[in-house]
Amino acid sequence: MIKAEPRTILSFLHTYFDVVRDLFEFQAHDGLISREAFDMIVKKHGQQNIVGKLKEYRIVRNIGSDYEMRDVYFKMMEFLLFEFKPLLPETIEKYKGAISELYMKIRLGENHDREILQERIKNISHQIREFVDLVERNAFRLLSETRDLKSNIERVEYREKVHKASFWIEYYILPLNKILDVNHSESVTSKLIEVSEYANRKRLDFGDETIRSEFEQLYGQLIQTNQDLLRQSKILTNELLPLLERIRTESLILTGFIEFLRNPYKVDSPPLLKGSRTMVYAKDMLFKVKEFFEQFENQESVYYEETDLQFDKWIFDRELFRNQLNADLPVKDFFGWCSKMLLKDFPHIETEKFFAITGLLFDEDLNVDFPKKEERTVIETLNSRISVPKIKIENAPKI
Amino acid sequence: MVYPTHHRRIVEDLMGGKFILSNEDHYNSLKENDKFYQEFFKLSFDLDMVMKPEFCYLISKDTQENFSRDVCIFVAVLCYELDKDGQNFMEMMDYHEFNYEEVDRFFENSSFIDLIESNKALKDQDGRRTLINGMARRNIVHKSFEDRFIFTQAHRVFIDFAKELAMRKMAVSKEGEDVSS
Repeated sequence: MIKAEPRTILSFLHTYFDVVRDLFEFQAHDGLISREAFDMIVKKHGQQNIVGKLKEYRIVRNIGSDYEMRDVYFKMMEFLLFEFKPLLPETIEKYKGAISELYMKIRLGENHDREILQERIKNISHQIREFVDLVERNAFRLLSETRDLKSNIERVEYREKVHKASFWIEYYILPLNKILDVNHSESVTSKLIEVSEYANRKRLDFGDETIRSEFEQLYGQLIQTNQDLLRQSKILTNELLPLLERIRTESLILTGFIEFLRNPYKVDSPPLLKGSRTMVYAKDMLFKVKEFFEQFENQESVYYEETDLQFDKWIFDRELFRNQLNADLPVKDFFGWCSKMLLKDFPHIETEKFFAITGLLFDEDLNVDFPKKEERTVIETLNSRISVPKIKIENAPKI
Repeated sequence: MVYPTHHRRIVEDLMGGKFILSNEDHYNSLKENDKFYQEFFKLSFDLDMVMKPEFCYLISKDTQENFSRDVCIFVAVLCYELDKDGQNFMEMMDYHEFNYEEVDRFFENSSFIDLIESNKALKDQDGRRTLINGMARRNIVHKSFEDRFIFTQAHRVFIDFAKELAMRKMAVSKEGEDVSS
């Protein structure tokens, strides 16, 4: 029995909300509040004096030397903070048993005691409310967990993400989906539809007016419930499941790629066709083959005769000609001089030899005089006539 | 003997190392004559033909293929960097038009820079352009413009490869855990 006024308790919760929230969070995480944790939380907020009130208002109770937040406050905090812990679908499925049993008893006892029938209708309505509430909270929590996993706030490794996603799918989403699957004869939803059809009939044809009104209320509640459950089912199948499947696949692919990138030269990459240069079906194969065979068509005999004749191995001796030129200075017509020199040794002038000698002109020591008048001389070589200007080479000035 | 329609194109493309995609004219002929071509390539060239619902390609026995390895590193780094950048990389690989500039940005800022710099085909922009051109020749990407490209369905070969590798790795580590426990 609590002596305090409800308003006083609410006011207490309002004043010491931070302490209560820390206690709630600790219990949500660890399942129980150890004595050390309890003392630490109370001390942290500097509120050691409220321990007595926490017990008096039945917010916490002793479990051995530790503490536990009472269920009603725990649920209230869950609701206020939207911090629902996802429940295993097995926990939710228990409602199917309770609802089925009440439904069966209502049907069998509809002609018996009026009061118990009324009570059973109220109870089934309560069970349905609790069931829908749990499903909604679970779907919400799963969605929130999945989005956290997707955005990867906790920097979970890809492999861990694969495990988490698989875990959520296997133990939470698929069983919950089964519970909500309207096409599954064993699902809670299909049972609720059955109850709804029954309530619909009874709200119209039940003899007692008060009971008719109870059925009317139940039917109204079930219409809304079925809509809510359908919405939850859609969230699960259209959003949650694809999102988790995607996280699982993405993480799996990235795990594989990271594994590959660790040492790409030690892992066999996906086999492809190894390129070959001599492919039978190369685009230009026909052309190449034709070209190859064409060279053997219309063969003409080609004879090659080796000759022992010695070819002219004249090498320009720059030093020799330079000395000769110095001895002949001044020279009035350099190109004429070149041709004379060649004609001394050879019967004809070869162009190549002529140009080799003319290279002396570039000797920096020579005093070259380019005539102002355009006087030209013609040199006839074996295969050309070369018209060149008359260039004088003077004696080098003595320094 | 009557050969299937588009026979020459099918053989030329596959022997050129190309992926034939399901949206190409000759894919249907290839699919209808799957068995014939499996035999044809096996008996003629000792090559295996892989037929998937979205594409078809040939594989050699020799798996030491540098091109495949380079493409695999390219796709792996790109997927990793896209994910790191908060992008939905699977969707990007399916539908996004990449441009050279963004690819360069991902590669130049990648945490796998040591690996990238040690690979001739990936270390600089020119190398990557050449690799992308090679991928375009093989139908792994489709070049929409000179500096833009989209991955074709053929990129799934590399995605599937990563999945299998991850599953193998996870199976091995699970076995290890089981043994130790």
